[in-house]
Amino acid sequence: MAGFLRTEAGKGLVLSAPASLYVGFLVAAPLGILVAYSFWTQTYVEIDKTLTWANYLEAATDPLVRHLLLRSILIAAAVTAATVALAYPIAYFIAFRTHKKTLWLLLITIPFWSSYLLRVFSWKLVLGFNGVMNSALISMGLITEPLTFLLYNEFAVVLTLAHAWAPFAILPIYVSLQKIDRSLLEAATDLGLTKLERFIRVTLPLSVPGIIAGSLIIFIPTVGDYVTPSLVGGSQGKMVANLIQVQFGPANNWPLGATLSLVAMASVGFVAILFVILATALGRRIR
Amino acid sequence: MKHFKTVLAAATALTASAGIASAEAASLSVFDWSGYEDQGFYGDYVAKYGGAPSYTYFGSVEEAFTKLQSGFAADLAHPCTDGLRKWVAAGLLKPIDTSKISNWDSLLPQIKDVDGVTIDGQTYMVPFEWGNTGLIFRTDQIDESSVSLQLMADPAYQGKIAIPDAASSAYAMAALATGASSYTDMSDEEFQKASDFLRQIHPNVRFYWSDAGQLDQAIASGEVLMGWGWNQSELNLIWNETPAKMMRDVDKGIATWVCGYVHLNSSTQSDEQVYDMLNALSSEPSGKYIIENWGYAHANADAFKSADQSLIETYGFADVDKFFEGSLFFDAVNPELEGRMLKEFERIKAGF
Repeated sequence: MAGFLRTEAGKGLVLSAPASLYVGFLVAAPLGILVAYSFWTQTYVEIDKTLTWANYLEAATDPLVRHLLLRSILIAAAVTAATVALAYPIAYFIAFRTHKKTLWLLLITIPFWSSYLLRVFSWKLVLGFNGVMNSALISMGLITEPLTFLLYNEFAVVLTLAHAWAPFAILPIYVSLQKIDRSLLEAATDLGLTKLERFIRVTLPLSVPGIIAGSLIIFIPTVGDYVTPSLVGGSQGKMVANLIQVQFGPANNWPLGATLSLVAMASVGFVAILFVILATALGRRIR
Repeated sequence: MKHFKTVLAAATALTASAGIASAEAASLSVFDWSGYEDQGFYGDYVAKYGGAPSYTYFGSVEEAFTKLQSGFAADLAHPCTDGLRKWVAAGLLKPIDTSKISNWDSLLPQIKDVDGVTIDGQTYMVPFEWGNTGLIFRTDQIDESSVSLQLMADPAYQGKIAIPDAASSAYAMAALATGASSYTDMSDEEFQKASDFLRQIHPNVRFYWSDAGQLDQAIASGEVLMGWGWNQSELNLIWNETPAKMMRDVDKGIATWVCGYVHLNSSTQSDEQVYDMLNALSSEPSGKYIIENWGYAHANADAFKSADQSLIETYGFADVDKFFEGSLFFDAVNPELEGRMLKEFERIKAGF
């Protein structure tokens, strides 16, 4: 036993054991339970454990599920695009234009010092009917009636999520920009590329891994976000997670909720893989 | 000196016994809405056990049900009548022995009779507080004589109304608006009419509120001019001096909810302690306290006689009997219909 622990394989097993056990018990096992539930049926307060595809059939044929799933994916895509587009210049600035990198990175994490829920609530205060934005516009005399399109719709959901997730895009893009060998940029200049050409043909392709990482980190969790749409989404901004919550809560139909969770997971996986393939191909093409 | 020692010993003994008593008091666990840990609600229990029970909170009756179903244990819980059939079917509750409730005969008969307090001849709940769900409107924007449930469908109020994100409450409102005979046992045709009404008002809905504070603020700011809500919201608006009130005309449609305490099957404390708490909750002083300080109606009829009459008037409970005759009660919905309501309501909210 002691001998085995000294071998490479033994050391590897020991080192990975805590994480494996953790993932096994807290991710794999619950996922297994979720899969099992998705094949069962809820009959009022009891669970009928006869295996059936009925839940999947319902999820596939119900236009409501399709509608909410599509909306969730579109909202998450909009959040991802907005966040990455806004994060890139900041990451670029930190990587190339400043020497106070630590200070800037610290500043970027400041929003995370307050709770996620509080940040969502503060957006409600900013965008609300008599909120900061409307009061400011009215006192400046730009509008006479409060704007109502600011809150309780998809726009508010995208805005809130893009703000909340910004650091998750900045950090990976920053890391990939930081890694770029500066001599490559010098070589590009020596070979006669303008600054813009140099950016498009050298810097941008080399930072694609960072963009992909940032996009996935934002896209995957935001598709399933529950709190933001329920607080600022109103009646037009609900997403698939809200429907899943209804199944586990008021509707008391855990099997259907489990099925919807798995369907959402599969859709997210599918879109994410598609995105990685496309982005990688695009990155190579520019080069 | 000897005298001093005796005093000291007595004081120590007293402190110790108070310590034991409050530990014993806290051993009773209550699963409740937040706010109900107020000691004015169960003064007799505090007097006997020297302290308060321990409280755990839920945000909605559905959340409470889900948590109890997944194995959470407590002695007492505080649901409302409309969801109770499911609780009984899931085997969560012990029947209440009404002979051990000393205040049982003083409780308002109309409240005691609500379907859900008693299910299939067995009593499961000691009703505690009740109140109204009705249409709260801005009196400075909408004329009292023209306000009605049907007005919510008027295109002039686009984005100016709010209703609860709760299927049973929304359907109770729709049943009243469309003239269904009852909401717990609607016919297919009545159900269709009620669903159509909810679809019709959907474009006017600014948001489906999930916490009452959201509704209060929206009415206070004028973001929303009409909202289907609890009397708690009306009170908050009165205290905030917002020109708003609840439409209390029974012919135009108003509902009455009843909530109370149930004895859970997972209870581990002695029946004596559980029933001491139930008796404290249903007593007249508790009722007087909740009416005067919270503006909620209590189940104990005697409390209405002893409480400040001008406050009762302000809070809208002056003519209790008239109310009971004309209002819709949140009875325990039949499970099959409840399932259909939930399903249809999700579609309506998504614009289908």
